[in-house]
Amino acid sequence: MAMTKSQRRMSFSAFRYLVLTFWLCIVAFPIFWMVSTSFKPDKEWFAWPPVYISENATMMNYLVVWADVSEYATNEDGDLETYTQSLQRPWEALGNSALISVIATTLSVLFGAVLAYGVSRYQILSEGRMFQLLMLRMVPPIVLVAPISIWYSALGLLDSITGLVMLYFLTTLPYAVWMSKSFIDEVPREMEQAAEILGASRARTIWEVVLPLVRSGLVATFLFILILTWSEYLLALLLSKTAVVTLPVELSKYQGSTEGRVYGRQAALSVGITLPLIVVGMIIRKHLARGFSFGMVRR
Amino acid sequence: MSRIELVNLRKEYGNVVAVKEMDLTIEDGEFIVFVGPSGCGKTTTLRMIAGFEDPTNGEILIDGEVVNEKEPGDRDLGMVFQSHALFPHKNVADNIAFGLRMQKVPQDEQARRVKEIAELVRITHLLGKMPGQCSGGESQRIALARTLVTEPSNFLLDEPLSSLDAKLRRELRAECDRLHDELQKTFIYVTHDQEEAMTLADRIIVMNQGKIVQQGTPLEIYGDPVSYFVADFFGNPAMNLIEGEFVKSGDGLEFKSGHFDVPLPAKFNAVAPGKGTFGIRPENVVIGASGQGATLEREVELVEPLGKDTLLYFETEQSRPFVSVVEGTEDVKRHANVTLSFPDDAIFLFAADGDRIR
Repeated sequence: MAMTKSQRRMSFSAFRYLVLTFWLCIVAFPIFWMVSTSFKPDKEWFAWPPVYISENATMMNYLVVWADVSEYATNEDGDLETYTQSLQRPWEALGNSALISVIATTLSVLFGAVLAYGVSRYQILSEGRMFQLLMLRMVPPIVLVAPISIWYSALGLLDSITGLVMLYFLTTLPYAVWMSKSFIDEVPREMEQAAEILGASRARTIWEVVLPLVRSGLVATFLFILILTWSEYLLALLLSKTAVVTLPVELSKYQGSTEGRVYGRQAALSVGITLPLIVVGMIIRKHLARGFSFGMVRR
Repeated sequence: MSRIELVNLRKEYGNVVAVKEMDLTIEDGEFIVFVGPSGCGKTTTLRMIAGFEDPTNGEILIDGEVVNEKEPGDRDLGMVFQSHALFPHKNVADNIAFGLRMQKVPQDEQARRVKEIAELVRITHLLGKMPGQCSGGESQRIALARTLVTEPSNFLLDEPLSSLDAKLRRELRAECDRLHDELQKTFIYVTHDQEEAMTLADRIIVMNQGKIVQQGTPLEIYGDPVSYFVADFFGNPAMNLIEGEFVKSGDGLEFKSGHFDVPLPAKFNAVAPGKGTFGIRPENVVIGASGQGATLEREVELVEPLGKDTLLYFETEQSRPFVSVVEGTEDVKRHANVTLSFPDDAIFLFAADGDRIR
């Protein structure tokens, strides 16, 4: 039976919602599972059939991880036992992660945007060079670890905040250049020339005309790179360990220790790792919608 | 006083020569229109005057001073762009005030002048809006206001109306004319639209392939084109141009192109026979034997009533039809046979290389 135009449109949009809902479930499930696990008492971590929402919800995981509350548990003989938490320093890791990723991301976006402006307006890098810049990111990080370890140990940068900041800054710079270039390209040159002929200096033109128009894009770039550096594991694991610990590295410490796999604690820590990013995302929500839709400039 | 001189100006992009050795003097208060097909170098010339492009060679003088090394903002120029180039994040009033702010004009005077100029271009009701909320015509008025408010001696307009629809274009064209009359400043206007050039210009500069091919008042350009190119470019409908041959017939000369066979006026008797082009403007073709000039019998292919005028199309053996404009709603039927006459002084001849034969 032939459908009318409006019926067809309706069924198409129903189909679209169906597909998107299905996709949302796939994407959101791990996050749900993480949050749910973080409130489970240890017996339910491995329970079968799985416990989706615990009836014995407890804050213990959070208290142990974040408040360093020593946990009293019964062992197999029925005796009370105390876990020691001496190796785990989540607050310090949070501080390190915040410091390293914010500084590295800020540097990356700052230098990236300046470079991108030069590329966009003065072709300071040819198209080939721009592509080579991106190719840098195609190199698997593990390949870089050996040479960088050697340099870093010679330079005394191993296991230091400066070392990680520099590394993250340089490895994310290509993204920053490429992303901010796409936003700067969107600003018509005529708009800058209009400002210039009205008597604005170059700096003034960039500040008053270009920057406001690419601000949303730069904020989106910032968040993208912040997520990359915030969750970076491999380089942090191999280039620092004892003195400087970042959150992803800290997370690995809750695994494979003598207590076995402590999923509840990991989940509680993971929630702590995820929340700051969500908060940042919410604060800059307005910019993200604009920035990721590429181009608020009407032509 | 402001006088702009281009001396031996040349611009190359790699191997491409955009502007070839141009010499031109633009007097104070003139309305100059650069016109030509796209790629003829008109916009490049304007952008060199503005300072956005550096000439490869030659000099630009404003008031006798070489300005090649001066920044665009220091040349006492205002420019209106094809894309309007309004700042989308500033409201209309701030857009207009931008230039004043750059000149460090005091706040209260800024406000006064913005209001004044908004009245002049009739956009007072838009001052609080954002550019995104304004229509194309309104945006163009705002762009004009933003340029006018800084009171430069020269205005550069780069195809300012080409993004607008026909009605709006006519309206704003009249506006440009009015502003020029009121301000008595130099306007340099670039367009590819011959009609805009004809209606606005004190002097038209016709450009083709990086060179000035003719300059003069609109009527000079229209009535006395120096070449096939200029004749073809100006006029709507375009001049009838038929390619064929000049052949001797007795004492005189005759133009032949297939069935199109016309004796030429006596003033062309000295022209050498050979290939060439016969031209006559559609409005100069007289329907019916007028008793003067050559005549030709033809069948009407198509009748196009435009209300005030009627266009009659006749077949030629060439790709473009032969058109005649008659006033009113002429009672001519399709496929009717009519006599066309070509008054002697309305006939243009062009040599094979495109030059006018006089």
